[in-house]
Amino acid sequence: MALGLAAAGCSLHGPKHDEDRAETVVFDLEGRVVAPDLWNPYVPGARLDQGLQQALIEPMFLLNTETGEIEPWLGLSMTSNEPMDVWTLTMRPGVKWNDGAPFTADDVVFTINLLLENGPSLLLSGAMQQWVARVEKVDDLTVRFHLAKPNPRFKLDYWSVKIYNSIYILPEHIWKGKDPFTFKNYEPGKGWPVFTGPYKLDRFNETTFVYRRDEQWWGAQTGWKPLPAPKSLEWVSHGSEEMRTAAMVDGSIDSLCDITLGAYQALEHFRGPEVMAWTDGPPYVWLDPCPRALEFNCQHPPWNDKEIRWAVNYCIDRDMIVAVAYEGTSAPSRHFFPAYPPLERYFRMIEENGAYERHPVWDYNPEKARAIFESKGYHRNRYGYFEKDGQELSVTITTHEAAIELQRVAQVLVEQLQNAGIDASNRNEAGGTWMDNGALGAFDAHIGWMACGSMNEPWSTMDTFNASWMMPEGQRAQFNIWRWKNLDYSALVDAMGRLPLGDPRIDDLYRRAMEIWLDELPAIPLTQARKLLPFAQDRWTNWPSKQNPYMHPCTWWQSTCKMIHEIKPVPPKPGKEQ
Amino acid sequence: MRGSAIAYLLRRLAMYALTVWLGLTLMFIIPRLAPGDPIAAMVARLATQAGRVENSEQMIQAWRARFGLDAPLAQQYARYMWNSLHFDLGYSMAYFPMKVEDMVRAGMPWTLGLLTIATMLSFLAGTAIGALMGWPAAPRALRLALPAALCFTSIPPFMLGILLIYLFAFGLRWFPFADAYGHNEVPGMNLDFAISVIHHGTLPAAAIVVTTMGFWALGMRAMMIATSGDDYMILAQAKGLRPRRLFWMYGVRNAILPQVTSLALSIGGIAGGSVLVEYIFTYPGMCYLLYQGIVNNDYALIQGMTSILIVGVATAVLIVDLAYPLLDPRIRHGET
Repeated sequence: MALGLAAAGCSLHGPKHDEDRAETVVFDLEGRVVAPDLWNPYVPGARLDQGLQQALIEPMFLLNTETGEIEPWLGLSMTSNEPMDVWTLTMRPGVKWNDGAPFTADDVVFTINLLLENGPSLLLSGAMQQWVARVEKVDDLTVRFHLAKPNPRFKLDYWSVKIYNSIYILPEHIWKGKDPFTFKNYEPGKGWPVFTGPYKLDRFNETTFVYRRDEQWWGAQTGWKPLPAPKSLEWVSHGSEEMRTAAMVDGSIDSLCDITLGAYQALEHFRGPEVMAWTDGPPYVWLDPCPRALEFNCQHPPWNDKEIRWAVNYCIDRDMIVAVAYEGTSAPSRHFFPAYPPLERYFRMIEENGAYERHPVWDYNPEKARAIFESKGYHRNRYGYFEKDGQELSVTITTHEAAIELQRVAQVLVEQLQNAGIDASNRNEAGGTWMDNGALGAFDAHIGWMACGSMNEPWSTMDTFNASWMMPEGQRAQFNIWRWKNLDYSALVDAMGRLPLGDPRIDDLYRRAMEIWLDELPAIPLTQARKLLPFAQDRWTNWPSKQNPYMHPCTWWQSTCKMIHEIKPVPPKPGKEQ
Repeated sequence: MRGSAIAYLLRRLAMYALTVWLGLTLMFIIPRLAPGDPIAAMVARLATQAGRVENSEQMIQAWRARFGLDAPLAQQYARYMWNSLHFDLGYSMAYFPMKVEDMVRAGMPWTLGLLTIATMLSFLAGTAIGALMGWPAAPRALRLALPAALCFTSIPPFMLGILLIYLFAFGLRWFPFADAYGHNEVPGMNLDFAISVIHHGTLPAAAIVVTTMGFWALGMRAMMIATSGDDYMILAQAKGLRPRRLFWMYGVRNAILPQVTSLALSIGGIAGGSVLVEYIFTYPGMCYLLYQGIVNNDYALIQGMTSILIVGVATAVLIVDLAYPLLDPRIRHGET
């Protein structure tokens, strides 16, 4: 069998090296990689989180969600003219591709033109077509972007790792003349894939990706940063949560993606203080950028009535959702933003102007809900449900079949709404169907995270509720899938969107827009999203944490490039070999 | 007799062609009846990775055109059948630019290797246990074997897989708990790699063998009991034939025919096999691909995988149909 498999070409691509475990950091990889030899980051089949965007590709800038700062990496600065329709990127000198060729403005111009010429099908190409009218090389280290319309967030949204990734610059000397749709960017004999990161691809199969440190990495050569401490990096898929947890108990993995509290407690039981998470004690979690909400189709009666939506809000006990669905590892939410430090001033702003007293989102008050329903002509029928004109008040809350966390939330929510007199039920839908139904408006309510976007400023998320995104039911909506239409809110958000980041005029616009949003409550905020991400400290230390927040801890994002430089080996204990 | 044999062969070949055509046609229709748009799902995933994308409708139209989904349905069907005839399974929609045939080629050897061996082991062990259980002269101690074998059939393979991992991978540390071979092994024609593959394949194979063996035993036992009461068995005993010859040539040979049919169907359907076992053991087979195809509504991947399944099952049935006359002379003479 083994010989047959080898003959069939099912090989671990690449040469054999016996990594020293003590010099290797092993990261968790969620799920198998179906197309492991695809290293073209712009095609739909490519995985990016198997180390491609963490170990191989380097970003221009990184947004630090803890400090709100945009930190330079390959880029040094990116500034705009006053109308914000011309942006100038200045790049770090001395950067080289890992085949030794210089990384220049030509590569940036080539990449953007490639996306413009092949848009909107390639990843990020639609966005470039939407914004970039023309790109030009000023000199070897300077690129100028002429935008089709002003965009104060051009640097933040596309050139900084804000959520997950950013524009990937490609080496012109390799990609020129290749079909970007079919080029796999993998040719081990030629040393491909070529990027600028401090590691080179060593070998891989569908579940294991191994990278070896590039001793000639440009950053060390120029004195910008020393080489990262790990000689090798691995991303390994262990399948189910049980297996992943067992792998960490076994010591064969150093970092895990999100796990449940039960699994983390098992880790603590077996490994004690050798494992750590974002916080030392409960809730242990780092907050994901996409808070969870009960989202209505605001065109469907009776959910098109803001008072009915508020009545539903009064039926919801968020503390119970956190306790039952999250085992205490999340926090109630009363807005659609992630609770990140850079956004805190915006939270305080609406707290201090009394918005939550006028609009008490956290008030769990079934009696208030009853009063609203009765004022709308509903009465309790013999089954205990509210009824009007012979029709029971019912709602089907749909959930994404792969989102176990959201299904748990939905189950608690259904119970609460049932107790309050709403005939609620939960239905799982296949991922594609759920997304489709959401975009086309074919739903009454679902548990979603569709207001995702803001990390350090409020506009990105607030604009997702903009009436300009409204589409008739049956036509695909890119944003505002809730089909909520409020022209006053939209005008305020549009005004915010035209101002530069941090402009003081944003504050007042923000306050007024939030007042409208809270009054209307088109989506009901439920909880913050959470990620419980364990790290093992027996071999490697200086992992990010709330006490040491140099970067967010999600090891599948492109921002992991910074973490790789920060982690350090644990010194061998005297008299004991590692 | 030669004429009837040719007619039999032609009938079976015609049935084979009809089965394959019908199967392929259904696999063209069924994914398109399912809710959800594969291109929209793929674009939604791209948009998720791309931050703010405000022209996703254009992206969807561009990809729809690239995959030919903007053509009339009849044209899509004609192209699909033509490509199927030429074994061209096309590009995956969810994993573009991967070709379905390349994806299948990467996963199939593992699935076929694991599941064929596991199915054969399960068949042989279960059939042997069942034959002995249904044979009056078998040792009494063997009667305990069937309940024990059946006991495990009520456990799904993936559950037993977890138990085996707990006992033998994490407890005793005899076997690895994941993957098809060691991370530091270089695949090739070498003993180290072969040992590594067998070492890694033991637990997944055991999970399948132990949980399916009882079905074979149960079927074989029933057939052996039925066979042992037939007239020809009594005659053979009366003639004084040796028990071993009676068991093998008169008992097992006649009782095994339905088992062989079931085996053919099992082998043919192996590609649809054991998604969860592959998942639990992180085994790089093709069942996982089929699951991904269904989840992503990837028409090309579903059609490619099920085409193989359809052709596999139909071919296995054809082979059994053609082999039956060799095993049972009554079929050769057109008696059944």
